[in-house]
Amino acid sequence: MSESSIQAKIALVGNPNAGKTTLFNALTGQNQKVGNYAGATVSRKSGTFFTPHGHQFELIDLPGAYSLQANSPDEKITRDVLVGEQDGEETPDLVLCVLDACHLERHLYLLLQIIDLGYPVVAALNKMDSAEAQGLRIDPTALSEDLGVPFVPICATTGRGLTQLKHALRHPFPTAPGRLWKGPSELEEAIEKSTRVSEEKGVRNPAAHGLMNVAEPGSETEDFIQKTRYAYIHRAIEAGLQRPDDASLELTDRLDAHALHPIKGWFIFSGLMLAVFWSIFRFAEIPMGWVEGAFEWLGGTVSGSIGEGDFQSLLVDGVIAGVGGVLVFLPQIILLFFFISLLESSGYMARAAYLMDGIMNKVGLSGKSFLPLLSGYACAIPGVMATRTIPNAKERLATILILPWTSCTARLPVYVLIIPLIFAGALNQGLALFGIYALGTLTALIAAKILKPRLGKTEAPQFLLELPPYQKPQWNHVLRQVWERAFAFIKKAGTVILGLSIILWFLNTYPKSDSDDPAVQQAHSFNGQIGQALEPVVSPLGWDDRMGTAMMASFAAREVFRSSLAISYATDEEDEEGLRGQLSKSTRNDGSALYTPLVGLSIIVFFIYALQCLPTTVVVRRETGSWKWALGQLVGMTLFAYLAALLVYQVGKLLGYS
Amino acid sequence: MPTFASDLERDSALTLSQAAIGCEFQIREVEGPACRQLRDIGFCEQMRVKKLTNGRTMLCTVCGTRLALSKDLADQIRVVPA
Repeated sequence: MSESSIQAKIALVGNPNAGKTTLFNALTGQNQKVGNYAGATVSRKSGTFFTPHGHQFELIDLPGAYSLQANSPDEKITRDVLVGEQDGEETPDLVLCVLDACHLERHLYLLLQIIDLGYPVVAALNKMDSAEAQGLRIDPTALSEDLGVPFVPICATTGRGLTQLKHALRHPFPTAPGRLWKGPSELEEAIEKSTRVSEEKGVRNPAAHGLMNVAEPGSETEDFIQKTRYAYIHRAIEAGLQRPDDASLELTDRLDAHALHPIKGWFIFSGLMLAVFWSIFRFAEIPMGWVEGAFEWLGGTVSGSIGEGDFQSLLVDGVIAGVGGVLVFLPQIILLFFFISLLESSGYMARAAYLMDGIMNKVGLSGKSFLPLLSGYACAIPGVMATRTIPNAKERLATILILPWTSCTARLPVYVLIIPLIFAGALNQGLALFGIYALGTLTALIAAKILKPRLGKTEAPQFLLELPPYQKPQWNHVLRQVWERAFAFIKKAGTVILGLSIILWFLNTYPKSDSDDPAVQQAHSFNGQIGQALEPVVSPLGWDDRMGTAMMASFAAREVFRSSLAISYATDEEDEEGLRGQLSKSTRNDGSALYTPLVGLSIIVFFIYALQCLPTTVVVRRETGSWKWALGQLVGMTLFAYLAALLVYQVGKLLGYS
Repeated sequence: MPTFASDLERDSALTLSQAAIGCEFQIREVEGPACRQLRDIGFCEQMRVKKLTNGRTMLCTVCGTRLALSKDLADQIRVVPA
């Protein structure tokens, strides 16, 4: 689709939880593009769609905002695009404002602010079916008359009203209604003067600038304008909305009576988390078997069709063993993202944040820090980015610094490989995984408690969060998110991990020794030499040289730990139980078992705490604006990981464990 | 006297953290360092609010939306019975 056929640009704005993304997906379907705003890590999502009149428009999905007085970096993007201050982004020709019909009074404030900026606006009254079910009577015509913009009732999840919405977006667009309220003459004069100054400066949207400059944050004028807008909304609502007097006990109230209960709520939260981890072990087994089978078949076929030699070894022991060893965890990663998306989409996540607020407060953070920390279980990078919703700068920094201790999915392949060497049975293994996640989280919280007062004086953390009503998960949205993360994982396996596997194979194969004994060849290779050099450092942790090499390689990407072991042990005898079987059979020079439960524990403890992810360090640098924090975090966490693993192994040995 | 009447009304207003659970209130005034954020999310003058729980972090509904807020924020909202 050529860019030139696009006739206008429409910005999609709305409060968080208004259903903006669902509407964006419903309008644009597959025609979406994701990029970044210049100079910001906030992603810019845009797409195209056709109206029934055959016009093609570009739709930009701006970050959710409660108002244009930006409280967070996300909201600032929305403000800057609309005011015309965002580099590389033209101001839109029309604004499509999504309003949640169930919470109209609150959502109209943003609409009124956008109208004030002088844009032509179309208001989409979303979630009309829920509003009707709650007995709300909304009169779109009366609202249109009062606010001077068309109101189109829709339901983005079912697609109801979308055709009418596209009809309302006909080109040429309606004229902008302009500011609907008037202030006292001094204020009007000040706005006029400020607009003139903005015009002389040649800014893109002088009217918007004029108004924004007058209403400086914290000023009495801002206070006055805010109250005047709400008074206007109050009058418009009187004519356009009727709420039933006695709000019946809804499903959300009934569920919240349990989910937010100070005791029952915790049982539900722990039960849900445990169920998620148990399911990851239980249900991923079958598809993991398929992936494993597929790579074994591939390895066998390649071995059969290519004659024995270095090239065959590169393909089978390097590429297939390395990439296959990581891709086998795709089902578990899909399941973890699926559950996180499901909890988010159903509305439970905000409840978890509310429950956690008490605990977070004890360590100097608020419930707002919990959501980024929870995202960290999937991947630290979106987690670090999600801290942008935390208004308090010190709280945000503390959250970023402790965040990598919430175990991300890249560690999962290592845990899943090692846990069965220590525990048997899906329930025990699920409990162990839950314990690993709990240990990481607990240490992160203790670290926050120690760290926060040292970051400088700040006011007590405040918690202000909307708890959206429970809803049926939007499967489209859930599956889209899971697909995006799964694709990113496959891409990583096909690029970074493939490259590293080839390098590791090379280091393991060369230089060649004269002996046919795989153990001698392993010791003679570059990897063997690196491992021997590392041995004095890793042997106090109970590890051998191959584990030391694998640990070093895993600093490029954690998943490579498994690939590296798979490549190292491929030189050993074939074993039908796969890598885990080979690990459990491997011995030290004195003949004693190498992968004992204590060594397994020491590896797990190291992986819980070590920050082995360079992209995270880069993102932390970008979000904190300082290499000091990013590198301090990298060195500090790795050192801590080493000492913790050392402590576990040495104390375990003293207590008589092997 | 209007000044006296408004003073009286101000005195009779409770903060949201003092308000009783389960009763409907109308927001009379939002004042304090976080007033802008509170208004942005919906705690604005004239709005009706119902408090659902007490404690350090309390739950309320404003126009059908459930909101959780910490006590020091609730102290910046003054309400009168609706």
